[in-house]
Amino acid sequence: MDDLRVPIGSFFVILGVMLLIAFFVITTGPPLASPNVNLWCGIAMLLFGVIMLLLARRGKA
Amino acid sequence: MKPGAIDYIILAIYFVYVLGIGWLVKRRVKTGAEFLTSGHSIPVWVTSLAFIATNLGAQEVIGMVASGAKYGMLTCNFYWLGAIPGMIILGVFMMPFYYGSRARSAPEYLKLRFDEKTRGFNAITFAVMTIFSSGISMYALGLLFQLVLGWSFTNSVLLSAAIVLAYTYLGGLTSAIYNEVLQFFLIVLGFAPLSIMAVVKAGGWSGVTARTTAWMAKQPAFAQGPDVMTHTWKYMGHASSNMMGVEWFGMLFGLGWVLGCSYWCCNFLVVQRAMAANSMAASRLTPLIAAFPKMLMPMVVIAPGLAAIALHQMNIPGIMVPKGNSFNYNLVLTNLMAQFYPSGLLGVGLTALFASFMSGMAGNVTAFNTVFTYDIYQSYIKKNASDAHYFKVARITTVVGVFLSIGAAYWAAQSNNIMDFLQLVFGFVNAPLFATFLLGMFWKRTTGHGAFAGLLAGEVAATLTLGFSAAEGSGGWFGVVQTFPSAMAQNFWIAILSFTSCLVVTVLVSLMTTPKPVAELENLVYGYTNIPHEENVPWYKRPILLAVIVGIACILFNIWFW
Repeated sequence: MDDLRVPIGSFFVILGVMLLIAFFVITTGPPLASPNVNLWCGIAMLLFGVIMLLLARRGKA
Repeated sequence: MKPGAIDYIILAIYFVYVLGIGWLVKRRVKTGAEFLTSGHSIPVWVTSLAFIATNLGAQEVIGMVASGAKYGMLTCNFYWLGAIPGMIILGVFMMPFYYGSRARSAPEYLKLRFDEKTRGFNAITFAVMTIFSSGISMYALGLLFQLVLGWSFTNSVLLSAAIVLAYTYLGGLTSAIYNEVLQFFLIVLGFAPLSIMAVVKAGGWSGVTARTTAWMAKQPAFAQGPDVMTHTWKYMGHASSNMMGVEWFGMLFGLGWVLGCSYWCCNFLVVQRAMAANSMAASRLTPLIAAFPKMLMPMVVIAPGLAAIALHQMNIPGIMVPKGNSFNYNLVLTNLMAQFYPSGLLGVGLTALFASFMSGMAGNVTAFNTVFTYDIYQSYIKKNASDAHYFKVARITTVVGVFLSIGAAYWAAQSNNIMDFLQLVFGFVNAPLFATFLLGMFWKRTTGHGAFAGLLAGEVAATLTLGFSAAEGSGGWFGVVQTFPSAMAQNFWIAILSFTSCLVVTVLVSLMTTPKPVAELENLVYGYTNIPHEENVPWYKRPILLAVIVGIACILFNIWFW
């Protein structure tokens, strides 16, 4: 493996997508959960993953 | 808490990734030396994150949230006093000798600097200690999952152990370190939303302050200083005015100087990560760069605990659950998750718990491996074999180490007070070490006999202190001469006395025995080691400058939340 940023980036992209799916699919939550938390966390993890992947690409070039 | 299908899918994806990283690293690891030491090949940002991740075991995460609820901001002393100074000392003062000596482990440094017996003593105590600590964290994880999710203890212990075994067996130290970086990000991103939501729900920082103060005002012992939960130093003047039962001297000397530095500078578990860096400069930068995220970790792991008390004060049920006259603090983290995380994020949170467990356990396994293979097997059982032979031994040791840990987990499950007892044993083994390394690296007159006698004296002093003092039911086997207000205070004082005895005896015996010839001290002792100049290096790569920035930032945190 050449660059650790690739597996980390792709992992968080997948995790972000999973949370976005959860946001649309899951309608119930525990009493204190704010309704859009899966959405916001999904976006944050997706962004983090994409940045990691971009850094890895830039590092390669 | 009831995880749904999506949560299990997230957990499964994580397992695929850790195993995948192990499998990818395997192709790069071709020799025993690469398996055990990574062949000094890892970039500094990776070693830095691995450096803190290996300490962020499940017990640390669960324990820090618990302490946040029990002691509040006083817990931050474990970071801003008990960790950052030790990390600075390692990066600035000690790393040049570890790395420059080309030792493959901390015990091997002792062999090069002192003699065989000092190495043997350290290697054996360290090996035993790592097995127990990974066993105990396995036990803690299994117990938590049994309690919270209703999973079988045996299944969760065996599953997590099997995965750690698989990826450390495949790729050795490199695989453990690479996974630790993934685990670090997962722990932070998995728990940060919990911290943010809990603090926001409790009314922001001002709400947390007001509500924890209102809560403490109802506790008779702290009615005089009810804002004790949101200060680190204000109530350290006297042991009776804070919940830790510790006064400033025990805190500063016991935790900050002895225990903090012993752990961060002499425990091979963490030092191994810095030694894997790809240059001397990178190895020195490892703990200094790691200090920045470390300093901010209280926002992720201590803040939720504080918020939990504030939420309890708001009469929100299900977070602080009673246990006897007090609360079950170890459940605070998972209770918060159950209250705040919907399915989806809950999977991320559970995965983060697994990740923290695995990073801690893999750290123990890889450190045990290296110490056993090089410092016990190669030194006492079979010298001068080929690298291929030691590679094979290291792989077998990985399997044996994991099985011994599982055994230790079941042993911990059998007995009642084993956790407290072992906590003290770790204190025994670690506390005198800092004196030994400090004198070894900075006083050329220190001799092997001196170091060995000092270590023994340190352990004896620790045993006697524990034997003659009592606190919350621990110690006092030989009669009680001194009673400490808390087990933590007792722990700190054991460390202080153990360190001081080791220091004094090492100096005295060294002065009476023949020193090592100066020619043999090269790259081992201050004054005989080439420390690279840093004039031509950009500022952000200069260890001393970085250390000053870290130090100032840390002092500012201490003042901000004094």
